[in-house]
Amino acid sequence: MSKKDIASLVDDRPEDGVFRLHRSVFSDPEIFEMEMKYIFERNWVFLGLDSQVPHPHDYMTTTVGRHPVVVMRDGEGNLNAFINSCPHKGAKLCHLAQGNRKIHVCQYHSWSFDSAGRIRGLKFKDDGQYSPAFDDDSHDLAALPRFEVYRGFMFGALSADVLPLSEYLGEARTFIDIAVDTSPRGLELVPGVVGFTFEGNWKLQLENCSDQYHFTSTHPSYLKVLDRRAEKGWEGTVRANVRGRGGRKAMQFPADGLEHIAGGSTSFEHGHNLNWNRRTVNDSHPLFERAEELKERFGEARRDWMFNTRNLTLFPNVQVAENASSQLRIIRPISVDKTEMLTYCIAPVGESAAARAQRIRQYEDFFNPSGLATPDDTINYEDCQDGHLNPVAPWLQGHARGMMLAGPDGDPFIDRLGVKALSSVIGGVELGDETIFHTYYRSWRALLQAGQRADEAAARSQPAPVSARLVETVR
Amino acid sequence: MNQALTPAHAAEYLYREAHLLDRQRFDEWVDLYTGDAVYWIPAWKSEHQPTENPETELSLVYCASRNALVDRVWRLTSNLSVASMPLARTAHAVSNVIVEQAGDDTMDLRSSWTSHVYNPKYKSQHVYFGSYEHRLRRVDEGWKIARKKITLMNDFIPTVLDLYMV
Repeated sequence: MSKKDIASLVDDRPEDGVFRLHRSVFSDPEIFEMEMKYIFERNWVFLGLDSQVPHPHDYMTTTVGRHPVVVMRDGEGNLNAFINSCPHKGAKLCHLAQGNRKIHVCQYHSWSFDSAGRIRGLKFKDDGQYSPAFDDDSHDLAALPRFEVYRGFMFGALSADVLPLSEYLGEARTFIDIAVDTSPRGLELVPGVVGFTFEGNWKLQLENCSDQYHFTSTHPSYLKVLDRRAEKGWEGTVRANVRGRGGRKAMQFPADGLEHIAGGSTSFEHGHNLNWNRRTVNDSHPLFERAEELKERFGEARRDWMFNTRNLTLFPNVQVAENASSQLRIIRPISVDKTEMLTYCIAPVGESAAARAQRIRQYEDFFNPSGLATPDDTINYEDCQDGHLNPVAPWLQGHARGMMLAGPDGDPFIDRLGVKALSSVIGGVELGDETIFHTYYRSWRALLQAGQRADEAAARSQPAPVSARLVETVR
Repeated sequence: MNQALTPAHAAEYLYREAHLLDRQRFDEWVDLYTGDAVYWIPAWKSEHQPTENPETELSLVYCASRNALVDRVWRLTSNLSVASMPLARTAHAVSNVIVEQAGDDTMDLRSSWTSHVYNPKYKSQHVYFGSYEHRLRRVDEGWKIARKKITLMNDFIPTVLDLYMV
């Protein structure tokens, strides 16, 4: 059990205008262990989209924290999530990323299970000379204590003691809605998954998605490539819905007193947040072909939000990034200084072939680890990680921009959606708000402290360790 | 008269392409490609199956013209990409070259490749490997690459993959 003083690592004094993070948050292996145990293994974690398992008996494998998990759709169409480990000896039951099976047979000793996780065959059971106690046990697959789906987004938890999912996601749900509503048939993953690793802490990825300040500094080569394409009018290259590109005229907003606002950031409870940039409704966006239809269905304000760039983080492990294209990314921490990413192009079901091809090209350009932008992000994470062991100046200065603006009110753009934010900031292109990160670390701190308290309480209610009892007996 | 390249010359063409990448002579490398060249690295959609249709499925890289390659090469040496500073050092080995089709004006080749990639900044290294499919086309100046498909077998990428690494 860790006695680490978590509160001492987050210097959070809003009344003094201070929010600072200690570098060991990114580099201390003991903290990483606590994160796995108290955040990833006791809290809601994103598993995947239900459209990844559309048919009866479809399954997909994933992880929750350090544990293998399989999501299955049973013969009646119900979704369940199980620990992907045979109750007999623990062998992994489902070996592929996804598939379709009515019966899953363990390859070690042939115990078999149906797609609802029920034991269907226990090899040579009658000859096994089992005791009645064995028969009293369930031999079904172990279901995750909690599993819920919000508009196709599947979440699971290894602890039953979590909030209802709708409460956990809270107001951030509106931004899932906006993404899902871009098609009457919801969202799907374009075939083809891209996985990569970086030698850095998982929270570097968490932050970068919410970080508007880095964009022009980290990605000048990408921006310059877009300029080159526009200048040369090159055929066979990709256009993108990115800040300033496509001409100033394309980003002319109505003179309503807010035309100077380029975007902002919004924080929600439980660590979720959104950073966004205003975009006009223009044809560099694959949704343009349905702009009128979306306006009729959802009203102008909500339709316009569909065209804004939106980087949504649902704490702790999933981000939906809709900017140069649209990406679903799942963050899987491996160790304090290594992170695995699974990334997909996420798209509205039923968009035209031309729109889909445009979306895919924009995606590859920006988001792939073989593209023009993401490598410059991930190398930055590695450079940060290198410096995060530094004991000389342990307090980072990267969570302070926007402190004088942040507050729960005064964001007319969020108000148009009827969303209640924990904190919101709007401003010009150069604002680069960093208060958006605070909700991550306040939730992070709360979960780690709750975990410590729960473990302490459990330790108190248990009998003293054997060694102590032996001493008692000898006395 | 059959003017196709001999198998030995075709193989040497592939070695020269790899050599230009390893020497980081990127402008000369791009010049090997026709203006309408397609350069394609599919992603994988399952353990067994790479993506097949770049219009409906994801690729790791899909460039539909030499201009797209020119942009990528420009970025590598622009000093504006932290992922490309310093450039990694690479050594390609191309082998098992098979001439699938040899005509007067086009040739289709298959081969296997490995590429050792060394990152001098982090003193780390990695080996990418897979297969190439080249379509060569005869133009006035000689033979150029009209299509190159790279099937990357180990597609779980340690941080960065760029064109000169595969």
